[in-house]
Amino acid sequence: MPRMKRDAKTVYNWLERRLQIEGPVKDAALHKVPRSTASWWYVFGSAAFTLLLLQVVTGILLALVYSPTAANAWNSLNVLNHQIPLGWFIRALHGWGSNFMVAIVFIHMCQVFLFGAYKFPRELTWIVGVFLLLMTLGMAFTGQVLRFDQDAYWGLGIGVFMMSRVPLIGGALVHFLLGGPNISGATLSRFFTLHVFVIPGLLLSFAMVHVWMVLKLGINEWPMPGRLVRRETYIAIYNRLSHEDGIPFVPGAFWKDLIFSGAIVAAVAVCAMVFGPYGPGGMPNPSIIQTTPKPDFPFLWIFAILAYLPPALETPVILVAPILAIAGLLALPFVAGEGEKSWHRRPIAVLTVSFIAVAWGVFTHLGTYTPWSPHMNAWSSDAIPARYTHSATPLVREGAVVFQAKQCRNCHEIEGVGGQRGPALDDVATRMTPDEMRYKVVTGGGNMPAFGKNLSPAEVEALVAFLETLHPANERPAYDGALRETSTHNGSPPPVTGSK
Amino acid sequence: MRLRSTVAGGLLSLALLAAGCGRLPVEQTERYVPPDQVTDFHALYNTNCRACHGPAGENGPAMDLANPEYQALVDDATLRRIISNGMPGTQMPAWAQSAGGMLTDAQVNAIIEGMRKEWSKPNPFQEATPPAYEQPSGADAKTQTADVKQGQQLYQAHCASCHSGHARQELTSPIYLALISDQALRSIIIAGRPDIGQPDWRHDNGQLSPQDVTSIVAYLSSLRTNTAISAPPVPLSSRR
Repeated sequence: MPRMKRDAKTVYNWLERRLQIEGPVKDAALHKVPRSTASWWYVFGSAAFTLLLLQVVTGILLALVYSPTAANAWNSLNVLNHQIPLGWFIRALHGWGSNFMVAIVFIHMCQVFLFGAYKFPRELTWIVGVFLLLMTLGMAFTGQVLRFDQDAYWGLGIGVFMMSRVPLIGGALVHFLLGGPNISGATLSRFFTLHVFVIPGLLLSFAMVHVWMVLKLGINEWPMPGRLVRRETYIAIYNRLSHEDGIPFVPGAFWKDLIFSGAIVAAVAVCAMVFGPYGPGGMPNPSIIQTTPKPDFPFLWIFAILAYLPPALETPVILVAPILAIAGLLALPFVAGEGEKSWHRRPIAVLTVSFIAVAWGVFTHLGTYTPWSPHMNAWSSDAIPARYTHSATPLVREGAVVFQAKQCRNCHEIEGVGGQRGPALDDVATRMTPDEMRYKVVTGGGNMPAFGKNLSPAEVEALVAFLETLHPANERPAYDGALRETSTHNGSPPPVTGSK
Repeated sequence: MRLRSTVAGGLLSLALLAAGCGRLPVEQTERYVPPDQVTDFHALYNTNCRACHGPAGENGPAMDLANPEYQALVDDATLRRIISNGMPGTQMPAWAQSAGGMLTDAQVNAIIEGMRKEWSKPNPFQEATPPAYEQPSGADAKTQTADVKQGQQLYQAHCASCHSGHARQELTSPIYLALISDQALRSIIIAGRPDIGQPDWRHDNGQLSPQDVTSIVAYLSSLRTNTAISAPPVPLSSRR
């Protein structure tokens, strides 16, 4: 045993004499940091880096099997899911690792912003961090494309449609990105290169620079209200904090990073195990139209915003908003490089983060449940509740058939089932008189198309007869008061044929 | 003590991990089947048919497919024709890809097979012989001439006891008749709709002969007139 120890020591010394790495590593590990930075709030950066390493390892394992060709990509993912032992688990780890990484990177950025850590002298750290964020999102998007299922296909389609709106060079950009005029095998090769070589290479180098600066400039001290940052005095104050009341980074602050990173990796593993891998969904075949593609979670909010934008605003928002947002993030340390760090005295910063978080949450929720998309299968798959037609008259029943066959259901819910594009119709008869329904069906209005040319008069009448029955049992249907006064029918529905 | 609980926890999570690896998500990630290769009857029925024909072939607004009498009345070739090409004069659309729909011939066959398996019953008519599904043509037609006048009397005798009263209960409304074909009327009269209480051709007042069925359909058909239906004017008050 002592001999083995001696041999190991010899090897170590041989290596160390040549590499001379012990000194820098010791310096890095043992350098003093302000006691206040050993906080559970300071663990997100290291967790993001840990997740990056997890992504690299699982990514390499996936690349052993994945085949980046249009013909085989989708199949190779199915092979991973179903034929290779634990292949599904590696895919799930990679997919959930991606979700966690995007989330942690955003949380890290919010924390850095709220703690004022981007201020002097850490401006460049922030700027590099902004690029790291963009690259993380780039990895998420290119990864989604590599999944090469229907979501990937249409997501990419939407992405390049956005790019094609760039003035003058839009077409060339699209051609460059897709490796041709449309999504093909060449596209997949390009995205494989981006996802596996280009972006990860940049990401790792930028992350190294980022970490290097954190080591050199020191971890941001805990912001105290009233302790202002000034270029002239900050370094001296920081050095005093870290030397007079400092602790060595390892183990003083490091153990919290270690525990949190471990917990995050465990959380990724649990999610991967319980929820399984992402897809692949349907084949990326544009001739299959029975699909409702949806982007992955980091991009759902964009999906929702685009759906709500009025058409005239699309191009300006798509092209200008990201540039403004990125420019704003990059300019931040120059605009507010000095002054108060504590969130207690930065109400605008707190409000900005809260506003963005709430807006992001709302749009993501909307994107998840897509109330604005018609539910394209509703007309043939969502049954009319039996009680609506069980004792209905033959005409009402025919009206229900017209209601389904003319695909009203794709946009209108009944009993909570169906599309949500238009209003639910469970109690439409209490809101509209038969004449109003007839008018609405024939001429459309609001978001509703006019169906006058697509429905025969008999179909309209049957449909209205059905809609008239849609009211709660204890609530009277709407009626036209003036018509009732003059009508001899005295409250019964107006005659269908003939004059009034 | 502390060490022991840590080790126990570690072992437990390892066991959970091992158990999880074996089963959980493999079941969750079902292999994707392209929509034109789905041949499971329930999947096909639930995607394409249930909206009009009801969740289990009955209680929908359209024809009661789970009625064993209907299943016995209509043969495979006819079902295939109706599903593939739609039913003229009704809202039943064409489903076959050859007719602009989404279903392959194999899927149409799977639906027919599934309906037979789920809803056919042996000998639903017992001793009785129902009138033919389609109105006879050619030589047989001479024995069953459609008599509108007789149809009207039969309608009054056999149908009007239920189909009368409130203006829209009546089958004689040209609006209703514009939306349903003679064949659909005939199918309902013969096979009935047990799910909503409509009797078949052997109802309380006695049995209808094939000739009677033909005549009632002819009577209803004679009331079908497209000129009588025009959308009533919309009063200005309701414009929004």
